[in-house]
Amino acid sequence: MLKDISLGRYYSGNSIFHELDPRIKVVMFFTYMVTIFTVNKWQAMVLFSVITIAQIVIAKLPLKVIISSIMPVVPIALFIALLNMLTIREGRTLFEWNIIVITLGGTRKAILMASRLILLIISTSVLLTLTTTPLKLSDALEKLFAPLKVIKMPVHEMAMMMSIALRFIPTLVEETDRIMKAQVSRGADYDTGTIIARTKGYITVIIPLFISAFKRAEELATAMDARCYRGGEGRTKLNPLHLTSKDWIIGAILLVLAALVLVLQVINV
Amino acid sequence: MKQIEVKEASFAYMQDDDANRIALNGVSLEIEQGDYIAILGPNGSGKSTLAKLLNNIELPTKGDVFVFGINTKNEDGFWDIRSKCACVFQNPDNQIVGTTVEEDIAFGPENLGIPNPELRQIVDASMKYVGLEKYATKQTANLSGGQKQKLAIAGALAMNPSIIIMDESTSMLDPNSRDEVLTLVEKLRHEKQITVITITHDMYEASRCDRVYVMYHGEIKKVGKPSSIFLERDKMLELGLDCPSHINLAHRIAKITHSKLTQEDLVSEETCAKRIIEMVKNAEFDDVKSYLKPDKNIQEVEPSKTIMQIENLSYSYDGDFKAIEDVSLDVREGEILAIIGQSGCGKTTLITHLNALIRPQEGSVTLICSNMNLSTAEKKHIKLLRQEVGLVFQYPEYQLFEETVYKDVAFGIKKMKLEPEEERRRVLEAIKLVGLKEDILEGSPFELSGGQKRRVALAGVLVMRPKVLVLDEPASGLDPRGRQGMLRIIESLKARGVTIILVSHYMDEVAEYADRICCMKDGKVIMLGSSTEIFEDIDKVEQMGIKVSRLNMFMRLMLKYNSSINPNVRSVEDAVRQLINTKGVELC
Repeated sequence: MLKDISLGRYYSGNSIFHELDPRIKVVMFFTYMVTIFTVNKWQAMVLFSVITIAQIVIAKLPLKVIISSIMPVVPIALFIALLNMLTIREGRTLFEWNIIVITLGGTRKAILMASRLILLIISTSVLLTLTTTPLKLSDALEKLFAPLKVIKMPVHEMAMMMSIALRFIPTLVEETDRIMKAQVSRGADYDTGTIIARTKGYITVIIPLFISAFKRAEELATAMDARCYRGGEGRTKLNPLHLTSKDWIIGAILLVLAALVLVLQVINV
Repeated sequence: MKQIEVKEASFAYMQDDDANRIALNGVSLEIEQGDYIAILGPNGSGKSTLAKLLNNIELPTKGDVFVFGINTKNEDGFWDIRSKCACVFQNPDNQIVGTTVEEDIAFGPENLGIPNPELRQIVDASMKYVGLEKYATKQTANLSGGQKQKLAIAGALAMNPSIIIMDESTSMLDPNSRDEVLTLVEKLRHEKQITVITITHDMYEASRCDRVYVMYHGEIKKVGKPSSIFLERDKMLELGLDCPSHINLAHRIAKITHSKLTQEDLVSEETCAKRIIEMVKNAEFDDVKSYLKPDKNIQEVEPSKTIMQIENLSYSYDGDFKAIEDVSLDVREGEILAIIGQSGCGKTTLITHLNALIRPQEGSVTLICSNMNLSTAEKKHIKLLRQEVGLVFQYPEYQLFEETVYKDVAFGIKKMKLEPEEERRRVLEAIKLVGLKEDILEGSPFELSGGQKRRVALAGVLVMRPKVLVLDEPASGLDPRGRQGMLRIIESLKARGVTIILVSHYMDEVAEYADRICCMKDGKVIMLGSSTEIFEDIDKVEQMGIKVSRLNMFMRLMLKYNSSINPNVRSVEDAVRQLINTKGVELC
């Protein structure tokens, strides 16, 4: 039941996006995030959507994978849309009943907010999580934040922490599923009862999960020690990051596309 | 120079209350380059601590450890020792750092600062050596248990080690993967002259080594060739260990025929087989009955006593691949039904249907004694069902969560709102059934040993007084004594009339106890029958890809010397009968 979460799940493939230097991807991810939150004109939104769809196609990601990565945020998107629709009163009234007033402006805003969120998630998935292995991603962050080492930021350690966290998500998700099944088998119930009772019920999952996570952490630390891990100093990389001219070109194209969206937002068409 | 030299080493774990727990007490040993060493001992005897001292993860609190002539306390040699002495641990999941196969193999050499293109060559060569090259860029999380352990070996190999320590590395694997890993390690030793130190509960694995160390309570109690160690079977049992099944058979035959075994007899399976044949040939069996042990009470329960009926059950997680397909199976009252199959054959999917954790997609499951169809039953009935069908997953100790053992065991009956006395009575009953004493009830379950935790978890299901009990690999990861204990609990439950479904990878484990056996492969039931029927047709079972027990393999070896032997035996006692049979002695 919990297996479908695609957060941190890399989808292996061999597309331009899979091969693109992760540093470019991280920078582009931020660029696109800022872009999507700047635009509110429908023309710009449409262009952004088209670019995103093109990215999905080029990254050769199956629709099923994309949908499963959107699913977790759909309820949030719907909630935000509903909130906007009910609270914003601008323009022509479309529907009125008791205190509920739905206006054209509100509906527009609702659609904008919901699609923004969903586009953001898709864009993140395509640019980062689905096409970049966690290790590459943390490599990229380590390199990008390397200047911070000067002010004694443990950049390598933080990148390591992140990649281990990502590596263990599938393992811990499976474990949660197993523990829940075991507890349900001896009478635990997570679906019925009051909210308080249900929250209490989750203790039967959380405690075993923590205990096992600590045990895993200890064993992993021993295993890393045994494999001579001693921090970032003097470490080499199997796949070191190399910015090739291809990376720069693709980066430039992505940048131009984002700029186009912004241009469309600013000028009056 | 000896490769490893341990001199009077002791080690104590620091504990909060200043009462340090002594894990090793004055251990000395010497190991030479290329040795193949087994370290045996019950859980908590200090085996893993010893491994940590060798690999420089811990330093001895007293005494010295020298690896390649360098004292591990000497800080200059620290990384030399660690890089030359690789470890493969028990849990495949907890030693993988990389998200993809090649990234994980590279982790060690990256730490050593090996530059490209040398690094790439090392990774590719190691990957190829263990046969994972097809998976180079695949995600580690999606590998099978056996592949994960091979990956760990490749990761160790990439460090170009002189020593590999296998810390119970095969204990979580199914028999095929276990044999593959074993073969791989032995190949490493032959081709690369790597010293192999294997810490194991598997006596058969130990019998293949050059030298065995037996540990007990932090001390080395015995050292020697496997043939001399296993010659003293009584001593091994006393230390909470056992012998491989073929050596157990040799001891049994020696006792019956009043012969004496020597070390030479136990050198290999071949010599052992020859000696057994010889002993049987020279003996006269006049008073056979007096020294034969009664066989386990195995019988096929009549079909009319069916308690649970599974018909044409299919299930798919993703709507595409069928985890189980068209499974039909009846469970009969009071029997032990074993379900055997490799990892991924659908065993777990099948058993999660039995208490409606997942509802059937196609086909049906019916609990006949309560006249309940699990596809259509209402939610409140399902809760009652879960009292009647108890499900104990693999490694159930990971489900404990309460502050005290009592509360944890009582969790399953809390919702029944019983009188306090009645509740207490049932908790006590459950605790006794699993062979634990009342005085642990008020302690925390997390302070118990691994084996005790597992028993508490089992008690937490038994407290509901299930009619049907499903056990998924109940003995996995336990030491020989814990294993025996678990099997005794199962027998006593059977004697109380509980119907038991026993799920396992290993034929060895269920052969002796199961009344009926169901063999599964690729989500389908390929054979179902009484234990006797299955063993008559064991060759067919094997052709289907299910490993026969090691005793069966050994009996086949004996066929070479006496072709009238029936090799398809369920247990050592069964083998004894077969052997006596060849002399034409009437047994019944």
